[in-house]
Amino acid sequence: MAVTGGTSGRAMSWRQFRAILRKDIVMELRTKEMVTSMGLYALLTMVIYQVALSQSGTAFDPRLIAAGLLWLAFVFTSMLGLNRSLVHEKDQGCLEALLLSPVDRPVIFFAKATGNFIFLLIVEVLTIPVFGFLFLQGRGFGGQFWMIPAVLTAASLGIAGVGTLLATMSVNTTGKDFVLAVLFIPLMYPLLLAAVSATTAAVLGGPDAAAGFWAGMRMIGAYDAIMLLVAYGLYEFIIGA
Amino acid sequence: MKNRVTGVLLVLGGVLTTVSFIVAFFVAGVPDFGTVTVANEVQTERSLIEIAAEGFKYGRPDWGQKIFYFHVPVALSSFLVFIFTAYYGARFLLSKNREFDTKARIATEVTLVFVVLTMITGVLWTKAAWDVWWEWEPRLTTYFIMTLLVIAYFVLRNSIDDEERRATYAAAFGILAFVDAPISFAITRLIPSTHPVIERGGLETPMLLSFLCGLFGMLMIGYAVYQVRVREEMLKERLESLKASLEG
Repeated sequence: MAVTGGTSGRAMSWRQFRAILRKDIVMELRTKEMVTSMGLYALLTMVIYQVALSQSGTAFDPRLIAAGLLWLAFVFTSMLGLNRSLVHEKDQGCLEALLLSPVDRPVIFFAKATGNFIFLLIVEVLTIPVFGFLFLQGRGFGGQFWMIPAVLTAASLGIAGVGTLLATMSVNTTGKDFVLAVLFIPLMYPLLLAAVSATTAAVLGGPDAAAGFWAGMRMIGAYDAIMLLVAYGLYEFIIGA
Repeated sequence: MKNRVTGVLLVLGGVLTTVSFIVAFFVAGVPDFGTVTVANEVQTERSLIEIAAEGFKYGRPDWGQKIFYFHVPVALSSFLVFIFTAYYGARFLLSKNREFDTKARIATEVTLVFVVLTMITGVLWTKAAWDVWWEWEPRLTTYFIMTLLVIAYFVLRNSIDDEERRATYAAAFGILAFVDAPISFAITRLIPSTHPVIERGGLETPMLLSFLCGLFGMLMIGYAVYQVRVREEMLKERLESLKASLEG
């Protein structure tokens, strides 16, 4: 769908992008639904972790599995958030209105993905201190601190991008959140593996931390580049169906 | 014409895989442990050397190796057939021709059969060679993920009622899964693996013969089964449309 009119196509797309993103953010600011539900869900996951680790004894160093636990929490929270963000669109008929309006399909994809990315990042940033407070007190942080936001940003980009596409599919199925989980987790596997390895390198530190971190980051980068491109290419077909 | 080729391929594939089996058991030698390289990282009580030595002590050669002639062709075929899921998926998206959707679905069905066979033979071999049923080892892990992706494809299909939407979503997911599988393969491989790797030129002639017979036999069977299923579906669709036209 080509944008015609006085303003150039790119400026128009940018405005549309901002309008959709703004709608999501304003709705979130009014209802505070996404961040509250995702944050609470993450907090509940911490309770489950306490149960899981309750028999591990004092000799056990939780830092060894801290990255895995964190990403586990993020995966499940992100699925909750992704599902919600698209269910809203569908239930309130917003998606149909968006499709009727002369907006480029990729713009819808990027705007929705950016919204999901922002909400996910907020929840992650809120969760990490809580996790550290609950499980890692008195245990030193091994690596350099900037590594953590770097991994979070890179991996959340992939989660939000691919997740937005999958959630757009799953809201139109009878299984909804179940279908999302079945599609989402195997597709996310490489990204999660890389994210956990990079985060572990950052948490533990040591002489080969930088090498391990960059190896993980390269893998995340490759995954993001390839999968976001594919997701971007497929979104037009998905949203039109 | 096409039907005859399918029939010939089916028979030929059956013959070739049988030949592969016979050659594997009666002609091909049992390799010593030089052919497969196994790093001693599997966590078992006994070391691999001990297990191997035990086999030799009782005059029992490493029969577990024989599954190689079945396992590897099936695994390779599953990857090759999976290409068609993505290929026909892409063609469906571009043309919206329902025929391609049917073809993509059947290609995925054949993939599922091969994937299940690979998993079964793989797990048997793991037990025989490493003395564990399962090991979170890169290649096993990747393959497990691929199994889940193929299953997810059918879960997705079954949860959508609208025909065109189902076809579009399935095509998109098929492409995503096809892109994802090599990535997870590459990522897990960056960790040192304990899975044996065939060394180049490491196969003696009878073993190579057996392996190639198995590989081409499996591919032919896969192709023939695919064609038969496609024809069945096409006939079914024709029947349905005829029924509909009679009623209407």
